[in-house]
Amino acid sequence: MSTITFDNAGKRFGNLDAVKDFSITIKDGEILGLLGPNGAGKTTLMLMMGTVYRPTSGSISVNGYDVVKHPNEVRKLIGIAFQDPRVDGILSAFDVLNWHLKMTTMFDKVERRRRVEDVLKSLDLWEARKKRTWLMSGGMKKKVEDAKILVQRPSIAVFDEPTAFLDVPSRLLVWKMIRQLRDEGSTVIVATNMMDEAERLSERVAIVNKGKLVASETPERLKGTVKGGEVLELTLNDGSEFKPDSLREFPEVHDVKQQDNKIMVFLNSGTLLLPKIVDTLSSQGFKIESVRLKEVSLEDVFLTYTGQRLE
Amino acid sequence: MSSLPTLASDLSSPPLAKESPTRLVFQMALRDVSVLFRTPWIIITRSLAFVIQLFVFAYLISGLIHIPGLNFFQYYAVGSVVATIASISFVIGYDIFEEAEEGVLDYLLTLPISRRQFIIGRALGGALRAIIYIIPMFLVVAFIEGFAQPLSIISALLSLFLLAFGVTGMSITVAVSVKSANRFDVVLALLELAVSRGSTALYPIAFMPLYVSIFAPFSPVSFAADSARASLVGFTLDLPAIAGLVAFVVIFLGLGAAFYFRRLEGGIYS
Repeated sequence: MSTITFDNAGKRFGNLDAVKDFSITIKDGEILGLLGPNGAGKTTLMLMMGTVYRPTSGSISVNGYDVVKHPNEVRKLIGIAFQDPRVDGILSAFDVLNWHLKMTTMFDKVERRRRVEDVLKSLDLWEARKKRTWLMSGGMKKKVEDAKILVQRPSIAVFDEPTAFLDVPSRLLVWKMIRQLRDEGSTVIVATNMMDEAERLSERVAIVNKGKLVASETPERLKGTVKGGEVLELTLNDGSEFKPDSLREFPEVHDVKQQDNKIMVFLNSGTLLLPKIVDTLSSQGFKIESVRLKEVSLEDVFLTYTGQRLE
Repeated sequence: MSSLPTLASDLSSPPLAKESPTRLVFQMALRDVSVLFRTPWIIITRSLAFVIQLFVFAYLISGLIHIPGLNFFQYYAVGSVVATIASISFVIGYDIFEEAEEGVLDYLLTLPISRRQFIIGRALGGALRAIIYIIPMFLVVAFIEGFAQPLSIISALLSLFLLAFGVTGMSITVAVSVKSANRFDVVLALLELAVSRGSTALYPIAFMPLYVSIFAPFSPVSFAADSARASLVGFTLDLPAIAGLVAFVVIFLGLGAAFYFRRLEGGIYS
């Protein structure tokens, strides 16, 4: 069992609340996606859970252990792969992983080598195992960072932007290896600002914005909370004079959001309503540069809950 | 997705055996030591520089000054080993500051090692690294001065180790107390100058200006230099100096740990 509970947890740096009143329970064996823009507080949440920062309010417990009162017990359960690779540049990939295993497990030399070899080969890094990590490309270093957790196989595996800097095949591979980790029984937390990663990898997504938990549900249920089920994206030549109420008059329209020249209309029966909306905007003198009708995505969910886009 | 490679074998973790409290401390220390061995050229070049300093500067100066009852070349040779180990021991502070700036410290703090073990491990690693670093220099001095008494050598190395341990603690204290990189560089450089130059490592106290001679006897570098000379030259133990070194170690390891807990966990580097 490795249930994690944040109970009104907060972290204040000076006058800034990096995390505020954050409450969530992460169930044993699930993959939770922490979705939020840069600076939302995702990393601070992880570092509090990993006992690096002490919460300034509320509490966090891991498997029943309070992170402040029993930090040593908590550290034995968690492994964190950071967003920016945190490796000694002077050491090789093999040495980085071998030392990580020495610190986090009781495996003997043979078992450590077997694990490191297995994971490095899977990540196509075996040939570069003796290369100092500071000489590696961003993608290779990122794989080494992820590999720390993949060799360790901790009860709670935390990945911060696990596929940043990676090409598409590598991203798919890392996702597969993270799922494999969960299948073996690990609880997995993935912080990301990539919608597709959150959607494809997570069983549950927690949307974090400005240090607060905004919503937490399965990706499908989150999409279901957006009224309408369809999104009409319109790009105007100049959106400064646009009045959202002019479209809200249609009964099929549930919400209208605007970001600069881009208008997002959440609605039903988009195909039928599209000509009417185009007519309305044209009659108001707007020039429409592009129109796109699509189903609700996690991106739209994020926009609905936070009023902003992730990009 | 099915065509993607996967792990060749089952890597699921067996339960951990009971952890030895000292194993992680040594692993942490060995990490610092292994970094030194990754750059052996540093040891080689510094040792060569030391030999040149000894056979040019120390040889020349000892020919210029004649102090009754004092072999200044020998005095300088032992003292420069002590001053060098103090200087090298300060490096751990730079390492920790750099690790904090680059985020490596966050990673280290997530590892399953208590904060107390972590501090001891880092200080021990810094001290071991410094000892390994000065061994070639120590051997050169021992060879040319004919220091061959094993107990004297062990006693002198113990003094050097205590100095290195205490200085790494001091260096860690500064690293976790100062936030700005520039201020950190200045503070550590001044501190290094003060404890090394304001000591009896390179010059006898009788020849120092008054404003230096007042403080020099209390420098940890003086404790180590006096104690090492007493062991190597006089075949005696300078117990007050060793007691001073032990106090220095205890104070600065304690301070380092206290500052560390308070500042890092409060998020100073965030």
